[in-house]
Amino acid sequence: MSAPSTGKPAPRLPLERPRKLYTLANPRKSLSLTIVTGLFALYCIVPMLWLVINATKSQQDFVSSFGLGFGGHFALWDNVAQVFTFQDGIFSRWLLNTVLYVVIGAVVSTFLAALGGYALAKHDFVGRRAFLLIVLGSISVPGIALAIPQFLLFAQLGITNTPWAVLIPSFINPFGLYLMWVFSDQAVPTGLIEAARIDGAGELRIFLRIAFPLLAPATVTVLLFSFVSIWNNYFLPLIMLKDPAWYPLTIGINQWNKLGSTAGNGELIQNLVITGSLLMIIPLIVAFLSLQRYWQSGLSMGAIKD
Amino acid sequence: MPKKRLRAAAAIAASIVALAGCAGGESTSPNAGVPTDQPITLTVWSWDGTVKEAVPGFEKLHPNITVNVVNAGSSTDEYTALDNAIQAGSGVPDIAMFEYFSLPLFAIPGKLSDLSEFGAKDLAKDYVEAAWGNVTIDGKPYALPSDYGPAAMFYNQSVLTQAGVAAPPTTWDEFYQAAKKVRALGGDHYITNDSADIFVLMSLMWEGGGRPFKVNGTDVTIDFKDAGSSRAVAFWQKLLDEDLVNTKITNWSDDWNRGLNEGTLATQLIGGWFTSTLPERAPQAAGNFRVAPLPQWEAGETSGAENGGSAMAIPAAAQNKAAAYAFLEYFTHGDGLQSRIDAGAFVPNLSNLNNEKFLSATNPFFGDQKYNQVLADASKNVATGWQYPPFFGWARTSYEDVSAPLYDSRQGTLADVLETWKQRSIEYGNEQGFSVR
Amino acid sequence: MSRQLLTQRTSVSDVVADHQTFRKPKRRNVGLAFIAPFSVLFLFVFIVPIGYSAYISMFQNKLIGGKVFIWFDNYIKLFQDSQFYDGVIRVVLFTAIQVPIMLFSAIALALAIDSLRLHGSRFFRIIVFLPYAIPAIVSTLMWGFMLGIRYGLIGSLNKAAGTSFNPFAPETTMISIGVMVTWGFTGYNMLIFYAALRAVPRELYEAAAIDGATEFQIVRHIKLPALRSSLIVTIIFSIIGTFQLFNEPNILTTLVSNSGITSYYTPNMYAYSLAFTGSQQGYAAALALVMAVFTIAIAYAVQIKGMKNAFNK
Repeated sequence: MSAPSTGKPAPRLPLERPRKLYTLANPRKSLSLTIVTGLFALYCIVPMLWLVINATKSQQDFVSSFGLGFGGHFALWDNVAQVFTFQDGIFSRWLLNTVLYVVIGAVVSTFLAALGGYALAKHDFVGRRAFLLIVLGSISVPGIALAIPQFLLFAQLGITNTPWAVLIPSFINPFGLYLMWVFSDQAVPTGLIEAARIDGAGELRIFLRIAFPLLAPATVTVLLFSFVSIWNNYFLPLIMLKDPAWYPLTIGINQWNKLGSTAGNGELIQNLVITGSLLMIIPLIVAFLSLQRYWQSGLSMGAIKD
Repeated sequence: MPKKRLRAAAAIAASIVALAGCAGGESTSPNAGVPTDQPITLTVWSWDGTVKEAVPGFEKLHPNITVNVVNAGSSTDEYTALDNAIQAGSGVPDIAMFEYFSLPLFAIPGKLSDLSEFGAKDLAKDYVEAAWGNVTIDGKPYALPSDYGPAAMFYNQSVLTQAGVAAPPTTWDEFYQAAKKVRALGGDHYITNDSADIFVLMSLMWEGGGRPFKVNGTDVTIDFKDAGSSRAVAFWQKLLDEDLVNTKITNWSDDWNRGLNEGTLATQLIGGWFTSTLPERAPQAAGNFRVAPLPQWEAGETSGAENGGSAMAIPAAAQNKAAAYAFLEYFTHGDGLQSRIDAGAFVPNLSNLNNEKFLSATNPFFGDQKYNQVLADASKNVATGWQYPPFFGWARTSYEDVSAPLYDSRQGTLADVLETWKQRSIEYGNEQGFSVR
Repeated sequence: MSRQLLTQRTSVSDVVADHQTFRKPKRRNVGLAFIAPFSVLFLFVFIVPIGYSAYISMFQNKLIGGKVFIWFDNYIKLFQDSQFYDGVIRVVLFTAIQVPIMLFSAIALALAIDSLRLHGSRFFRIIVFLPYAIPAIVSTLMWGFMLGIRYGLIGSLNKAAGTSFNPFAPETTMISIGVMVTWGFTGYNMLIFYAALRAVPRELYEAAAIDGATEFQIVRHIKLPALRSSLIVTIIFSIIGTFQLFNEPNILTTLVSNSGITSYYTPNMYAYSLAFTGSQQGYAAALALVMAVFTIAIAYAVQIKGMKNAFNK
């Protein structure tokens, strides 16, 4: 890893006066910093180029052409059309399921994490330390070992093989809770809360109207993480769902992939697996881009002075 | 696309077959005891995509029955799901798919229905003997065979010719000689690949009369020292020692596809089901591949082995067993079978293996060879009496672990690996309540 | 205000231990109410199944003979199981090397992007994060190609350079997995640090500039301290994550051979293989619980250490 160390610009020499603010409105761009960061970006992007390039290949070209080169003919649109028509167009259904799971799951889990994280940071109550330890301890238990007990519990309640079996666990985002707690602690000035209380605002109103807006960058981060992790959630739906009509995309695409490696009447459709995967990340990119503007600092309003 | 041609050819052949009428009419009605007045929904877990082809015909015969075919995962994923459903006491399917080697794991602890009560025993004569042996445990049929994998040798004729091998090897000696010639082509050329795949080694044992596992109820004996097994082990060890087998390529990987496609893997010792997937893995080798019987231990012998294949069973906890059996019989044996064969299923039913139209099918990918004839013969030649230990699913993973040092870094011998494997299996089996020696 | 923000809190226990003066007992209920929805669901999804796991960890579920109560035999067996130790040692080593590299890269990237001195910083922000969004099955396929010696990129490079480097030999597989995991999660951690940096009020930088601070001093005295709590959290979660390493080695077994990956390569793979192919759910549960206790112990130690010497001062 050579990139990171140069992330901090070298100290300025004293003769360079007057000093400028690089972090504010009109920073001077640095070419060398861009290049070094670019190297890391290259590491991130080259494997993804593979994905994009190979989504343009037919199955036949896929097994016979070089991985980072194009195939005999450009089959991207064929592949996309096939993805949406294969197995009576079940891909669309999986896509809709995934959107359902992701939107509900991410919104609910982020809100619960914000509510809980804020309470942990700004409210005092008995057993807070124990609570933190229990949450940390629980998520340290490998999920694989919990899958069967979770299944049996959900089966008792009769919700296996229904969307609830995927949704309910996705409402819990312990990492989001921790992030929200850390960020609440930093970004929500206690003075502001105190002032609101003096003005007679209720606690929920303080959270919704004052704290929550201040937590925007953290909320966006947690929302994105929830979004992605639910989008890519594999193991739990695999255990919980047996009806393809409720599968999320990950299960469906994995199943397609396995079709080609099961002795018997499997069909080798790597081209569809790859194109399907590419299609899968497009909504994530869209989500990411549309959340861009919330990256602004929550405290820049300068509303508080103590 | 070769695949499409293959399908089209099969479809045409099949429609003619359908006219000829080939379904095995049976004396025992599979429909005995099926309620006709109440609506029934059957759930079938199958990762074999051809099963759903039989559904419309069955639903027409039984208007009160709806059949739901679901891919609940392949192999281990499905078995886990089934175990979970059984434990939870809900969501148990009416019919589930099993690889042959996994049947005892469910049958012995009583998780599957004995199909004798539905008259399944009468069907024995309609199947290849070894296939029926796979579904019979302690004399009781627990499943009906639904697809079959007679071990065969797929070879790339042009590569063999290039290496100076005029005719495909018919004995293991010839195979060894051919392996040396192919290796002499240099580079990455190998006669075949093997990356700790127990099924290849087992085919060699099986064909030569080795029976390393003996199962009697919960008593299991493991012994790799019988004549047939020892001979197979020694032979394969020789190939490994002389670097005649590519141990760096694992089946189903991209490397494997590409090796087959470019011809650096000259043969595959694999199940007959490979016909349906080889064309899409090796599109550039179209016209070069042929199918031959597994090479023999002695010239002139006609023994055979299995590699893969699966059966369909009714869990003991299933809700509608009579209706389930009616459908099970329909798509594995009765009138629904043909629709699956048309869709590419390779089944061990004699009605099909003796069917002229089926046998005369050709495919340009295999140089218009009558490949089904070869595979049908291979199916009938599969040696009987082979048994899998009930914990074979576990043992298979364990084999990959214990053979890793040999395959990764050439430590020890195949015989050592098998000895370690045996010890681990004994330990595990006894822990699980079997009596293993 | 600025003083309060400059003295960032450093860790879980710091914050927990920090009793602020305005809090009054009657508001405790409000805090409890806020945390209740999360807690109830958490109880349901995690605690009850963990309790059940603890229960079945004291049973052996035999294929023949069913469930047998065996007290702590599974735990005793585990502590004598060399396959278990094999996996534990492997993930501990992996964590010790991979996590610092990943988090260091993530901090550097976050600082670089937050400095606003990059050309196209928006582009970098999304590019670095995107790998996290790639499903494991696909990322492993991609890396199987990138690192493939036969038909992959490394194969081509080897051919060009006349070398024979093999990224999936038993000695090198773990490094390759490290490359894959770092690829997948650096952007994830970067975003956390970036969000923390964005939460620093811009006025602070103005004030610092007026005081004549260099950019380096701003990084050192404002930005890095602002990252402390996030760093502790990311360390803890990275440890939890790498201790549960599963996807990459598991999928790799289907792509490459002779890589040295066994069914007990990591504790999580071992748990999976015990529970799913070995029908040894009780033993798998014991393993999982022991790993959880171990993870927590390490995470706790890191946190205490982190309090003392995170970024000095």
